[in-house]
Formats: sequence, C-alpha cells, structure tokens
Amino acid sequence: MTLAVLAVLVYGAVLADAVLHAHGLGTLVGEIGSLGLLFLALALVRGVEELLPAAMVCLGGAYTVAVYVHGAPLDERAPLVAAGLLLCCELAAWSVDERLRIAAERAVVRARAVALAALVGGALAAAALVIAVAAAPAGRGLVWTVAGAAAVVLALALAARAGQR
Amino acid sequence: MTRIASPRIAGYAALAALGLFAGLAAGRVELVALGAPFALATVVAAAAGREPRLAASLAAERERALEGDEVGLTLELSSATGASRADVLVLLPDELTTARPNPRAVRLAAGETRTLELPLRCGRWGAFAVGPALVRARDALGFHAWETRLGVPAPLRVYPSVETLHALLPPLETQVYVGNQVSRAHGEGIEFADVRPWTPGDRVRRVNWRATARRGELWVNDQHPERNTDVVLFLDTFAEVERRGRGTLDLAVRAATSLAHRYLQRKDRVGLVSFGGFLSWLLPASGTQQLYRIVDSLIQMDIVLSFAAKGVDFLPPRSLPPKALVIALSPLLDARSAAALLDLRARGFDLVVVEVSPVPFVDPGKGELADLSYRLWRLSRESLRARYERAGVPVVEWLDGVPLNVPLEEVAAFRRYARPARA
Repeated sequence: MTLAVLAVLVYGAVLADAVLHAHGLGTLVGEIGSLGLLFLALALVRGVEELLPAAMVCLGGAYTVAVYVHGAPLDERAPLVAAGLLLCCELAAWSVDERLRIAAERAVVRARAVALAALVGGALAAAALVIAVAAAPAGRGLVWTVAGAAAVVLALALAARAGQR
Repeated sequence: MTRIASPRIAGYAALAALGLFAGLAAGRVELVALGAPFALATVVAAAAGREPRLAASLAAERERALEGDEVGLTLELSSATGASRADVLVLLPDELTTARPNPRAVRLAAGETRTLELPLRCGRWGAFAVGPALVRARDALGFHAWETRLGVPAPLRVYPSVETLHALLPPLETQVYVGNQVSRAHGEGIEFADVRPWTPGDRVRRVNWRATARRGELWVNDQHPERNTDVVLFLDTFAEVERRGRGTLDLAVRAATSLAHRYLQRKDRVGLVSFGGFLSWLLPASGTQQLYRIVDSLIQMDIVLSFAAKGVDFLPPRSLPPKALVIALSPLLDARSAAALLDLRARGFDLVVVEVSPVPFVDPGKGELADLSYRLWRLSRESLRARYERAGVPVVEWLDGVPLNVPLEEVAAFRRYARPARA
C-alpha cells in the first residue's frame, strides 16, 4: 500500500509540475495526466503491470504539451521528469509484486530499495547527459541528423534485443 | 526452471523507442531525455537475467507424530550464483499448520546455504508428504523470475490421539489362549466360578473343605480361566458425512485407534476390516507391532466411491475368526454395509454396532420439503436400528463430542439386560 501511494505521489508531483508550466493549456494537460492516473490506478488495483507504460505515455504526453506551451528552447527539468517517470513505474511495479502476502526479510527489501535508488540515479544521470550533450555547441546539418537517426535505430535495436532476451 | 520475464521490460523498450522517435521527429531533446531512463532500465533488465541455479533439500525432524504434536521441518536452500530475492513456499497439507510465515522471501548470496526452520503443528491424523518447496527467485528489481519445485517431499505420519477408555466390551466367548479376560467357561484360573463333586485328576489344593465337611464327600472349587479374545474392528468406508474437516470417518478412525490400543494392551488379538469401495483387512494378531500395523492402515483409510455389490463373502475367512467380537463402526449410510452387518450376525458373530452418527454433520435445510425429507431420513435410520435390535445386535448412536466411553457403556448395559439372540 505504501509503495502504491508513493507511486501515485510521484506521478502527481510530475503531473502538477506539468500543469503549472502549461500556462493556458493547464486543463488539457491535466486531462491527459488524469487519463494516465486512471491507468496507473487500474494497474495498482488490479495488479496489471502491462498498464504502466500506458500511464507513462499519458504523463509523458502531458509533459510534452507543457514543454511546447512553455516555449523554452531547452527544458532543464527534463532529467528530473524522466527519472520521476521511471521511479513512478518502478514503485508501482514493486507494489504489484508485493500484492502476494509474502513475509520478506529486511535484507530483501533493502536490496530492492538500493537497486531502485541506483537505477533512478543512473536514469537521472543518463537523462542529464542527453540534455547536456544537446546543450553543447555542436554542428548542425544533414550529417548530424543522419548520425542521430542511426544512433536512435542502434539504441532501439539494442533495447529490443535486450527486451527479447 | 521456468523463466518468466516481467511484461514491463517490453513496455520500457517501447517507451524508450517512443521517446527517441518522438524526439527525432519533433526536434525536442527533452523527449529523448524522457526515453533515456527506460532504455537504461531495459539494458539493466537484460544484464540481470542470470539464472540463480538453486538447490534445496527438505527434512522432517521425525517421520511419526501424534495429533497435536509439533514436528520441525528444515529446508536447506542454496544458490550457486546468488538470488536477490527467493520466495519459498513449502507445500503443506491442510492438516499441518505452521506459526512461521509460509511463504517467505529470503536473500541468498552466491554460494550461501540458508537453513529455514518451519515448525509444523499436526492438526489431524493422516499420512502426509510434506513438500516439495516451490521457489521463485527474482533479480534485484524483479525484471525476471525463475520458478521451480525443489526438494523431495518428506513423509510424515500423524497418528490419531488415543482416548482413555474406562472399560472395554467383553466378548460373549473367549479364545483358547491365555489372556486377561475372565472366560465364562470353567477351568483353571483365579476367579471363583462354582463348586462341583471331586473327579479323578482334581488336585487336592482345589478341594473346598467347607463344602466337603457339610456334604460328607469331596467337593472342589471351579474357576473361570483367564483367556484372550479376538476383536475385529469393522470400519464402514462406503460413505461418510463431513463438515468443516470433521466427519464420520474421522470419528470412526479415532474410535478404532483407541479400541485397538486398549484391546492390544489387554493382550487380546485385534484385527481390522475396512469394508467399503476399497476392501482391506488385517488378520487378528497381538502386540505393539500389530498396533502400528493397524494405525498405519487406519490413517490411510479413505472413502472410495463404488457401486459394486459387496458382501462379507469377499473377506478371507481368517479375517473374521470364530467367536470373535466384531465391533462395527459405521455411519449406517450405505445399504451394503447395513446388509453385511446383518449377514455377520446371521453367521453367529458376536456383533456390536457403534453407529457413528452423521446427524450432527447434516444440515437439515430450510423449507417444508427439506424438513419433511430430513424427518423421513431420521425415521429410516430409526427403522434400521430397530432391525438390528430385533436381530439381537446392540446398536448405539455415537454423537460427535461425546466420549467413546458412553456408547461402550450403553452396549455393556444392553448386554447385561438383553439375552443374546441365537440366529
């Protein structure tokens, strides 16, 4: 229950941030985020992990609208939002795992908490790296676009392979 | 070992792809940043997918226990590669409970062996196999799970508790071997029976001098010899009525255990006949070994549904020796067992029927029709009881919660005042 509440709180915090920065489109952002919250609640109540990505797509969409409305060339809060999305997902997944009443040793809980903290820390660093690389003065043009596309395809292929294993 | 991947790995891969494509299409690096953590999580999930290589062994502290006893069960669990979380569930029959958590989650370091103690409380008699252990190991973040069954089930026999019986039913006739039961016949013994005129061969120490002086000729004392008896416990296993784990078979097994224990203590020979869908018997014998044989046989007894016609002819003659006291423990629910008991009486066996009453386990139902059928059922039982009484068979109703001494005393009273009918 605690984990589920924490997941909802993290989701709520990211959504509130998006709504606050959406200026005139706060209602739309709120509605998209609420739909995601519905998915998250369903996932937590029914124990269906498959619904978590849908909730994250909604929250990510709400954030994207907010970023567009805000109009800043680069949103520096993006790494925090990205880490928040992953943290929310992982907390919800942990909560679903704990639905079965299994008495767990303190060491087991501690190990997962440490692993989760490490993953979220790494995610924050990865997202910050992406933002930092984008902010760095680099060249523009077709070559960079092709290189970026190739990197995307390579990253996706790696992710897909990792997902299949 | 079955490997199960969490559905969120595919979801994370899809989110990472979506972020990267959306970022590329919209030209916003923030969307790429949103996808980056999920790409990282997918890579971490792939790296975490190492099989934990688990091994386990189960051992019970002892193989035999009494109802209400506590038996220690030890599970040794090890992993060659380590497991961040191993959920362990030892499969227990409903009759065995434990105060310790089952299932429980433990952490195993690489090469570590953990010993998990599980004290089992034996709630009801039976022959059980404890285990195996169902183990589900997970990686640190629960991306992958490996499920397997480990350990060979440990056998555990739980014997029914024995009720203290104040008195036992004496048989009408005894056997020829020496025992603790005072025979009705006259012969060499301790208990005084009668006086009779002296005959050649009588010892001088048996002369009753008072009677001799009064009558002017030699008179001697006669005694009742101490003999053993043959007791056959006849269990009706055609049908039972059960409610919340207690039923007529449960009561019958408890009663049979107590009776066998007490008669064998008295140096009698005790046999067992399980008369039901599955026919089984133990020839009468005496001693502690026979007690174990009987109890082992009793705890494996079960109701086997059968529509085959069965009679006492199916039993080997030695399982029902002549002059044996046959104590039938039956709920009198099946016509075949009711007929078989009357057949036994007709063959001259000293028969006693302890009716393990199914009435406390039957819900009378609601409504006029249910009430009427319940009353008819009770009447048909009364009529069956009357048939036994007409045949000279003492039949007593034994209700759940009543000590076994009560029906035994009722039978003894019946025998005291009713002359046994000759078939």
